[in-house]
Amino acid sequence: MDFSIRAANLDDCKDIARMIMVSGHVRAHLETDGFSKNPFFHGIIAEVPEQHRTREGHTKIGYALYFYSYSSWKGRSIYMEDLYVMPEFRGKGVGKALMSKVAQLALAAGCHQLNFTVLDWNKPSMDFYLSQGCFDVTSSLGYHCMRCEGEALEHLAQL
Amino acid sequence: KMEYKLRKAEPRDVSDILRLVKELAKYEEMEHQVTLTEQELLEDGFGDTPFYHCIIAEIQGANSSDEPKVVGFAMYYFTYDPWVGKQLYLEDFYVMDECRGLGIGSEILRHLSNLAMKTRCTGMMFVVAENNEPSVQFYKRRGAEDLSQEEGWRLFRFDKDSLVKMATPPEE
Repeated sequence: MDFSIRAANLDDCKDIARMIMVSGHVRAHLETDGFSKNPFFHGIIAEVPEQHRTREGHTKIGYALYFYSYSSWKGRSIYMEDLYVMPEFRGKGVGKALMSKVAQLALAAGCHQLNFTVLDWNKPSMDFYLSQGCFDVTSSLGYHCMRCEGEALEHLAQL
Repeated sequence: KMEYKLRKAEPRDVSDILRLVKELAKYEEMEHQVTLTEQELLEDGFGDTPFYHCIIAEIQGANSSDEPKVVGFAMYYFTYDPWVGKQLYLEDFYVMDECRGLGIGSEILRHLSNLAMKTRCTGMMFVVAENNEPSVQFYKRRGAEDLSQEEGWRLFRFDKDSLVKMATPPEE
């Protein structure tokens, strides 16, 4: 199956929002946060030619969101926030191609590592990623992802 | 009584930043993993598009003529979660052993939380090693949630070699 990978632009936001399955309210934030002068993330889109479009007429069938981060051990890094391929287009190399593009972008920007999170119940995804050559930092180094938000964050800000 | 102050890091601080990065890594038994250099810290933190930001804690010397000494730091940057928006990501946070118990750590966190709220971040994120009991307790006391434990988040990583393999298109 023919498909292409390219950088996402403002016009892709509605398809990204559709694939993330978020409300219109969140989509508005995606537009300003990702496609204005100082974006907080970048996107890439997987597209199929017209003859492979879905029943609803969509040709944008996968995406990845990423941003640059930093490792105090290694320096420049890239973080892949989302990777998604519509179910009917899986198993055709689209996911691998999206990840390959993120890896190319990472290397072009001088990055030394690519980080992302996976949910532990998502075995198909974990297996896919491990088969691509990554390792599970949480399992091997015992690092837990933590977050302070809402009231806890407000409280910390006032101490 | 030790006086300290917090300030934004400047280019001249990169050797102190690297020193403290290595001290923290040593505490985590990961000193051998640090390949970052002062040159990279300089280019990556103080160029046109910084990859990271740093705040520094320094104490005055015993005499007013002494150079202040850098005794703590936090390295952070901004990340994004499409569901909840901007986050402040705390990459490293460390106060030298001999300067603990003065409130420097709490002050750094207060400064960062304030900054997170001012820049419309909905959360502050970081990782902690599960066997680092003092740190785990420090954060849980302050209301941090353990997303790995509570929601099953696992951090995965491709290192440089595996990135190169993945970036190379397969042979036809």
